[in-house]
Amino acid sequence: MPVTDNSAGKTGAATGRTRASHRLALLTADNASVPLPASVQAITAILLAVLLIALPWLGLGYRFLSIAITTLYTAIGLYGLGLQFGQAGIMSVGHAALMGVGAYASAILSVQLGLGFWTSLPFAMALSAIVGGVIGLPTLRVGGQHYIIITFCFCALFVIVLTNGGTFTGSATGLDVGSVTPLPGINFDKLSNNYYLVLAALFLALAATYLIGISRYGRTLRAIRENEQLARSVGINVDLHKLGVLMVSGLFAGLAGVLQLYYLRHISPTLFGAFPSLYLALMVMLGGARYLYGPLIGAVIVNFLPEVLNLDPVDSRIAYGICLLLVILLLPGGVGAGIKNVYCALTGGSGTQTQGGGSNGRA
Amino acid sequence: MRQLGLGLAVAAAGFAMALQTARADEELPIGVIAAQSGSFVSAGNTIVGAANLAAQQINDAGGIKVGDKTYKIKLYIRDNRTDVNVTIAAARELVNDIGVKAIWGTETHDFSVSMAKITGPAKVLQFSGNSSLGAVLDDKAVADDGWLHYAFQSEPQEWQRSGSTAKGVLSLLTPQLKSPPKHSVVFVGNDATGQYLSSHYVKALEAEGQKVDLVQYPPDTTDFSPLLTRIKGMKPDIVHFWYNGDSTLTAFPQALKLGVAPSYFLFGVDPGIYQERSLKADVPVTLSCVPVCWGSSPYPEVKQYFEKYFGLGAAKGPQSSVSLLYYDYFFWYAKALEKVGKLDDPDAVVAELLKSDYKGVVSPVPLVFNKHHQVTFATEVCMVEPNTSDQFKCAVEQPPAAPPPGDNGG
Repeated sequence: MPVTDNSAGKTGAATGRTRASHRLALLTADNASVPLPASVQAITAILLAVLLIALPWLGLGYRFLSIAITTLYTAIGLYGLGLQFGQAGIMSVGHAALMGVGAYASAILSVQLGLGFWTSLPFAMALSAIVGGVIGLPTLRVGGQHYIIITFCFCALFVIVLTNGGTFTGSATGLDVGSVTPLPGINFDKLSNNYYLVLAALFLALAATYLIGISRYGRTLRAIRENEQLARSVGINVDLHKLGVLMVSGLFAGLAGVLQLYYLRHISPTLFGAFPSLYLALMVMLGGARYLYGPLIGAVIVNFLPEVLNLDPVDSRIAYGICLLLVILLLPGGVGAGIKNVYCALTGGSGTQTQGGGSNGRA
Repeated sequence: MRQLGLGLAVAAAGFAMALQTARADEELPIGVIAAQSGSFVSAGNTIVGAANLAAQQINDAGGIKVGDKTYKIKLYIRDNRTDVNVTIAAARELVNDIGVKAIWGTETHDFSVSMAKITGPAKVLQFSGNSSLGAVLDDKAVADDGWLHYAFQSEPQEWQRSGSTAKGVLSLLTPQLKSPPKHSVVFVGNDATGQYLSSHYVKALEAEGQKVDLVQYPPDTTDFSPLLTRIKGMKPDIVHFWYNGDSTLTAFPQALKLGVAPSYFLFGVDPGIYQERSLKADVPVTLSCVPVCWGSSPYPEVKQYFEKYFGLGAAKGPQSSVSLLYYDYFFWYAKALEKVGKLDDPDAVVAELLKSDYKGVVSPVPLVFNKHHQVTFATEVCMVEPNTSDQFKCAVEQPPAAPPPGDNGG
């Protein structure tokens, strides 16, 4: 007669449950500050770079490449939002308007003064940075949800000004520009060249984000994010750093806006209204604002999901809503966190340590 | 053995001939980019409906004979999801991946302009039914090396449409009012199309002797009562619900409830929709269709067209008649291709379109493109008898000969 050890079975089941909950904790933790080995970081960066560079050669077609360009310039804008939200903890729901400042500045300089892409780019980026700083001034007095409302109001106001700006802003009809001024031997009318232009800008944005993340400046921003009063008490000039990161975010947004302008070659106010802004906020939350590749992941999900699943706009919004709920419930750090957690779980690394890691831990 | 070889040779020749016959009908790839989902779906679906009907009719009639070959239209329909980025991606795909010879669409000014920057360099013809393209179609843009050389505006210039509409509305309403109307309020959505259209319509009304006030509402407005109350205070003789028809259907019942004016004009609301929705007003109401009404058309050709159009499963909507801005141009393009005799000479096709005319469904007068690649045809305006939903009196108004004072055309 077989002997059954119930207590062992119970213990086994309990152990199984513990393991399962431990695995779940591993997969859902926000471990942005847990450092990955340098070799893993390097291999990830190289693989991603190779994939992105090789994309036009994979024969995926012009439609795919067009959406890839949209994804990349959106991601550049998101890196700015990622810095201010992920590093400094300042969320904006008017970021598309900041991209619009760059786009419109470049378009107006083109229409009024005949400046091309390269010459108008620094002015447009600078103006976006200044506007980002000006909108950020209220954050010195108010924070959190107040700033979110301010950015939303700015977005609405920006669209109203553009729509009623007469021939200067092109009103609701918008403005047209020509092609990107060619460089010797490189004609940007060719879609693959346009892709590489935007990709180069993305690499710059990625590099800048990485360098800020590992710098003392990045650590200071994270200190402000975690406890503003404490940061102030140890002598950090919180106001200056907040304005600084908003201006850096504006620079990214300006760059993205100009790239968007010269990709579409026609802009109108609706591109920079409340809805596109909310989509940007959604993307950065989906991807993970604290992760180096989070904004890129968010942009890829939102731009390619309707393509891959053939979703219409209504279905897409439902899908985004469900994704956002799942991310909030299961992956507070975004999909970027999930990917890192999967890696940690597979390699047996610690994925549950959420804070206090090295500053180069942004995966 | 020799006989077997001969038999095989005959069989092979027969097979080759059969293959040749099968290949005689080649495909003419034509793209359609339209909003089949998203906020412009009601207009976008009409483009697809018109394209399907036209392609089916041309193919059923034997196709298009170009040189010594016969081509059947193969439509590549792409949903732009009312998103400019998807529109651009779709245009790239159609032009570069598929290699279409022409594209029909889109329903939106911004999207059409961005699309033209792809179709132009690729020498792909583009037919877009946006009157607001008039703002960019000028001598330089349509020149041989211009960026809009291959683009055609399949809707009349806005000053023409506005002129014929204003004339039609006033001629129908004046006998219904106690005294001739003098004060009009134009109520319009404040977006690209609304701004462009109203800038011409206001001048057209002024040219007819009206004092005009313009009131704009933000796009996506659903509660119009504050603005309508303001308009009521202006004491207008006529409130013109100008672009767009979908918003008008929301705003008009609110205006009736508030008793805003002694008469109304609803732009882009078909009598068929007015009847289907059982709308009723105790004051005279005029309606206009873009370009002719499916609910009450004076032309038998138009009635037949809509029977076939709806017969293919197209939905009856406020903007169903917009399909007529796209339908005729398939036949005209086919005619031009046959005349040119070559498929790969878009410049010759453009030249042929510019020098030819085409008697289509949309107009009893043959369609002609002007030097800026724009057509001209009349507008149908109808009046609903007060307290009825189905009693219409319709008139077809020809466009004025010249833009009104202060309107620079376009």
